[in-house]
Amino acid sequence: MPDAVQLQDLVIRVGERVLVDHVDLSLAASELVGLVGSSGSGKSLTAKSMLGLVDLEPGVVEGELRITVGAVEHRPYASCRGAGRRARDRAFHAVRGGLVGYLPQDPRDALDPLARVGRQVGSVARLGGHGPDPLPWLGRANLPQPERVARLYPHELSGGMAQRVVIAQALARGSRFLLADEPTSALDPTVQAAILRELRRLVDEDGLGVLLITHDLRVLPGLADRLVILAAGRVVERTTPEALRDGDVHSEAAVALVEATRAVAAGVLG
Amino acid sequence: MSWVRDPLPWLGAAILVTVLLAAVLGPLSGYDVVADADPGRVFAAPSAAHWLGTDHLGRDVAWRLVIATGPLVGPGLLACGVGAALAIPLGTASGVLGGPVATAIRFAFTVVEGLPRFVLVLLVLAIYGHDGLILALVAGVAYAPTLGEAIHERLEGLRQADFILANRAHGVPETQLVLVHLLWGACRRLIARHLLGLFAFFLVLETTLSYLEFGVQQPWPSWGNMLAFDLDYADATPAALLAPALAIWLVLAATTWVRRGLSDRGHDA
Repeated sequence: MPDAVQLQDLVIRVGERVLVDHVDLSLAASELVGLVGSSGSGKSLTAKSMLGLVDLEPGVVEGELRITVGAVEHRPYASCRGAGRRARDRAFHAVRGGLVGYLPQDPRDALDPLARVGRQVGSVARLGGHGPDPLPWLGRANLPQPERVARLYPHELSGGMAQRVVIAQALARGSRFLLADEPTSALDPTVQAAILRELRRLVDEDGLGVLLITHDLRVLPGLADRLVILAAGRVVERTTPEALRDGDVHSEAAVALVEATRAVAAGVLG
Repeated sequence: MSWVRDPLPWLGAAILVTVLLAAVLGPLSGYDVVADADPGRVFAAPSAAHWLGTDHLGRDVAWRLVIATGPLVGPGLLACGVGAALAIPLGTASGVLGGPVATAIRFAFTVVEGLPRFVLVLLVLAIYGHDGLILALVAGVAYAPTLGEAIHERLEGLRQADFILANRAHGVPETQLVLVHLLWGACRRLIARHLLGLFAFFLVLETTLSYLEFGVQQPWPSWGNMLAFDLDYADATPAALLAPALAIWLVLAATTWVRRGLSDRGHDA
């Protein structure tokens, strides 16, 4: 079986409310899957649950997560003993970073505001079993002048640079899969395109599996291999960006999403 | 260079280092506090032999000023140590864990903080008599809630911060997250600022007590008791009166200047 992350029958419940309702999702190496939905559709929760990062009090996360790399299969939720965060941290220890990495929405918030970039990348590189030198990783993430960037504090970075620093951390950590949670929504369109190309390059050249979470359908054609559309915590459509662009959609929620995107593209008042 | 733009923090640091050196080297100098009294040279004006003149017993004011740093620096640092030893673990535990642990710790903080500090000190001195070590202990305990609460607030705000989540997603172990990113990364300047505040608090406490003759007793000098004695002879020896007053002001100002230099960089400044 090829390297893959498989999430089966995920349910996230807070009290009576079901936030994520029986979601199945898979992500293989060397593919880029778009997880699409409007705000509140449960896409971020779904992604965070793949890292055991959903903290709910009181709340329940159920489901089965299998992460296969080589001959080894990890099942962190099945091996999690107890409901506390410590138990979950232990069960997800091997998964976080080493197998699955996370690119957050605003990259500048993902960096410790009071430590220099070089030190932050270096400490993650050590976790990945490398030396503490951050420069090769910053270079691999295509940051210009890595020596200069390494000496900066996060608030001195532009949004695009910060996202590349976070990508450098994921590379240094040796993640096989990346969960990118709206990684470009805080960036302007030109930088957005550059970062998305960078993600595609990680898939094509480094063989990573990338799950791109987004509410913006316009960025997906030519970028994502396939799409999963979420609405109100359920999977409503599994398709490709090309089919979506051609209007080949079936569920009501997906149609609404496509139309809203068209309206924005055409100019909301036009 | 930052010291050209804002020299005061560096000046303050230099003053504090000088006081520290005076406290360490003063006792090694061989100056005898008790033997140094000469009725033949009372109220001498400042001169090469006596830089700041002499007091009403003919004692060298400059030397007494130096020796007086002893009861200030040692117990002052001990007070900082006590405050840090109490506040850092408690503040961290309540900030990181939250929930009932935080409620219990912060309740203890408010109980101690609710006691008027000066009355607390006088009470303890009434029971145990004056002792630099006990004074340091009380000052450390009395100040610990302020530091602990500050750490709690800083960490509580960061507990759900994205960079903590991101580091958890990188697989950074929880202890490393707390020690490196939270305590060292986000709180080190905050802690240093508060410990300087605690030192200043101890300085005021010690000088006040000595001024009121509850503290260091003659013939041993302290800036407070020098001030009290020399006040009676202000017309005869203005230098002897001004010197300890100036020393107190200078060290208090130095702690404020250094604290200013320790303000946080980054966007949560």
